[in-house]
Amino acid sequence: MQQIIPLPTSYRDNAGFVFEHERKFYRLINKIYFPHYNKLMQSGLYKELTAAGRLIKNEEVDGNIFNAETLGDIKIILPEQIPFISYPYEWSFDMWKDAAITTLRVLEVALSKGMILKDATPFNIQFYKGRPVFIDTLSFEIYEGGKPWIAYRQFCECFLSPLLLMHYGHRDMAKFFIAYPEGIPLEITKSLLPLKSKFNLHVYMHVWMQTRVASKVKNDIISANNFSFKKLQVLVKGLLEFVMSLNIKIDKSIWDDYYTDTILGNEYLLAKKNIVEEFSQLIPFKTVIDLGANDGYFSLLLKGNATNIISVDFDSNCINELYRRLRKEKILNIIPLVATLNTPSPSIGWANEERMSLTERLNGDLVLALALVHHLAISNNVPLQKIAYWFSGMADNLIIEFIPKSDEKVKQLLLHREDIFSDYNIEHFKSSFNRFFDFLEQAKVGDTDRILFLMKRR
Amino acid sequence: MTFQFLYIDPSSGSYLIQMIIAAILGSLFFFKNLWIKVKSFFLKKKNIEDDKIENEL
Repeated sequence: MQQIIPLPTSYRDNAGFVFEHERKFYRLINKIYFPHYNKLMQSGLYKELTAAGRLIKNEEVDGNIFNAETLGDIKIILPEQIPFISYPYEWSFDMWKDAAITTLRVLEVALSKGMILKDATPFNIQFYKGRPVFIDTLSFEIYEGGKPWIAYRQFCECFLSPLLLMHYGHRDMAKFFIAYPEGIPLEITKSLLPLKSKFNLHVYMHVWMQTRVASKVKNDIISANNFSFKKLQVLVKGLLEFVMSLNIKIDKSIWDDYYTDTILGNEYLLAKKNIVEEFSQLIPFKTVIDLGANDGYFSLLLKGNATNIISVDFDSNCINELYRRLRKEKILNIIPLVATLNTPSPSIGWANEERMSLTERLNGDLVLALALVHHLAISNNVPLQKIAYWFSGMADNLIIEFIPKSDEKVKQLLLHREDIFSDYNIEHFKSSFNRFFDFLEQAKVGDTDRILFLMKRR
Repeated sequence: MTFQFLYIDPSSGSYLIQMIIAAILGSLFFFKNLWIKVKSFFLKKKNIEDDKIENEL
């Protein structure tokens, strides 16, 4: 007999939960939620949202395959499977913004069909087929006239807080979300916003005024039934317009011109491109993990050969530009991700089981590690063997670039510090990686001292 | 007073603040719509690309 066990991430909602069965993720719906689910399906809301690509598609499956009759009156649905789960603290500004817009648009359409969202967390959004998609089918509830939006405060803390911190502060400030995955408290956001933000009416109302009211009002008018539908629409429209008006200062980060840098230039890039293309034809792969992806040059190069590409870089500027490009050019199989590789996202939430660490989620067929190892080994002092071990857990194949100490870029890294890296050389690199990988190919990049390797996990 | 099961805590003051915001925005939108009509009459819309993407969301 099968046992249906909820995923560690799925425990909050008594409407149902997500579980895994034979490497597929299903959603179980409890009887208590049936009226809402039926309304979602029968009102045309599901059809409209899925047709627009805003809501994940589901199909109802026969519960008997899980021996589910023992569970009583339930429904089981099989959502379209999302190949890679990203978390909000790994998104760049425009990803956050688009996720917020999608949430509000879903709410807008829901209201037009007599339903409302009972929660508003960015964990309900995943990036799939090149766009943000709402994945929590059980978030919809029948709208009872006269009530305000129950998830309004949650929306403010979960979406507005990070967006405002990035808009007024730094584009990396959404990383605070890792410390406050339930939403960055408005009190904290307020303390970090510049005074000038007070002069923006929306910021004033949603942050400054709200925290003031919250500190004064002890018993809220929960039973109030005088919040008209029109008011609710105005509130949502206001939030939508406000979110759409937010942006970040585009500053030039050090990596912006990495590949157009004069030291390296076009010849190097072309040589490297040819080698990567050649290597990639020697191995089978579906999922590519591009570590240190920069502006996504090599992810874009392989996009025709891969089903799915995860492009990771610590530079949120590069990742944001990549995301904007993917949206504009409608490239559907690349997921851009902001993550610092020497401190990848940890597992967080209840019992440290709710959100998986980045390492747990990075599973593919091919890892690209181009112009990366010297940063990990020298800037972050990570021993080569540890790097090899980490990569070997991700995929069967590895295309990796070794940049020796004689290279200008490595010299720059060592310019202001003592060279304690006596074993940073090609021999030690090879012996470290050879413990976990077999070397299939190697090639020198143009007339530089850099070498590309194609390796296969042992 | 009616009690109902709430999946998340709406937080104290959240209902009152929504009342206030909806009232302010309601009157604001009224004047804004007028202004947009006047402005769009004279100005060409810029950044059409971004608008297109946002509308698809």
